[in-house]
Amino acid sequence: MNDTCTDPETLEQLLARTAMRDRAAFEQLYRQTSPRLFGLCVRMMRDQGEAEEVLQEAFITVWRRAETYNPTLASANTWLTTLVRNRIIDRLRQRRENTSTEAIDLERVPDEAHGPAVRAEASEDYVRLERCLGQLDVKYSRSVREAFFTGATYKELAMRAQVPLATLKSWIRRALMQLRTCLET
Amino acid sequence: MNTPADESADDLRYAEYVLGVLEADERAAVERELAASSAAAATEAQWRERLLPLAEQVAPQAPPERLWVRIRAALDFDSARSGRGLWDNLRLWHWLTLGSGALLAGACAALVFILVHRAAAPPIPFMAATMTEHNGQVGWTATMDIRQARMVVVPAAPQTVQPGRTPELWLVPAGGRPIAVGLISTHAPITLALSANLVARLGPSAHLAVSIEPPGGSPTGEPTGPVVAVGAIGAAPAGIVPATAQLLRTAPQRPA
Repeated sequence: MNDTCTDPETLEQLLARTAMRDRAAFEQLYRQTSPRLFGLCVRMMRDQGEAEEVLQEAFITVWRRAETYNPTLASANTWLTTLVRNRIIDRLRQRRENTSTEAIDLERVPDEAHGPAVRAEASEDYVRLERCLGQLDVKYSRSVREAFFTGATYKELAMRAQVPLATLKSWIRRALMQLRTCLET
Repeated sequence: MNTPADESADDLRYAEYVLGVLEADERAAVERELAASSAAAATEAQWRERLLPLAEQVAPQAPPERLWVRIRAALDFDSARSGRGLWDNLRLWHWLTLGSGALLAGACAALVFILVHRAAAPPIPFMAATMTEHNGQVGWTATMDIRQARMVVVPAAPQTVQPGRTPELWLVPAGGRPIAVGLISTHAPITLALSANLVARLGPSAHLAVSIEPPGGSPTGEPTGPVVAVGAIGAAPAGIVPATAQLLRTAPQRPA
């Protein structure tokens, strides 16, 4: 029995109860997290039907593997997002023909400037990451964003940006190292 | 021993893994390392905490309700309240499907056996539909348990559909537009949870139909592929009702 009806349960608690085969907790976890995760699936898969399939597979895995979640390694939110993103990326790797080949200019700020978070519910982690991304050279931060949201490989990104592979790799690697330093301070 | 240079290269590779820029074989190699080394897993976890907040940039979008129905069906859940039962027992359904040609005979024999050995149960509203194909052969049968808001759909024999396509079940109310019920199988029984909206529309004036759709189901919410089987909904055949009710009532614990 769960008698903490006044306190909304954390995702960690829901995931723990899911690991104990509690279907009601699993449904609550789905209700709470699926809109955010589905938004990510649609953005990255660029196809509603495929996004639904990926999210379905991911939640089936959540039910079957909830007991492998280790709260000392990551938040439940991170665990779920990782699971979904890994499924998306695996699927994108299998479906090369669906990968975007649209040209991009990574050295220019896009029209829909991403800018720091404006949404009130943005987490501190997100605000800090945006601040650090904002301090990078535009081509570094754009490369990271493009990679994150398209799931594209180095090779695909270099082709789309029409820059040598080694150049693109160095942009992203420098971006990652600078982000690490910035986030640690 | 790893040198600091190795560690820094690994650190970068795990960052690249989390970001998603590695090729499939490089990803597989990283995944093997993560499974083998807790230090590697901890380094990768740090990168996840650093980079994944970026996902918050995407506006949330509620998935269609059918997705939850499909997840429940795939996991063979029944209604969330009544936990476990024979209905959930994959092994039973598997056994019932053995020798798919003889499926209905086998299922009936099982039900009659139980009927003979148990007292008849009080009536529980059940409905059934036999969906026949254009050639007159039975494609799927559906039995609906109204009280528990679920339906089991059984192929009469393994069905052949185009590669990469999947059969989807629709409820067609009299004079209404089809409503998606869920994806069904070409070769195995599937249990689908029914929304209140669907249960309210089950009745003798409605039909069930099967169309052939892309994986994941119709992208438009309406049948997009050919309709291969149709059947009217009626009261479940005499004998099946009390026997099925008894099956549900005397359900043993689900095997772990």
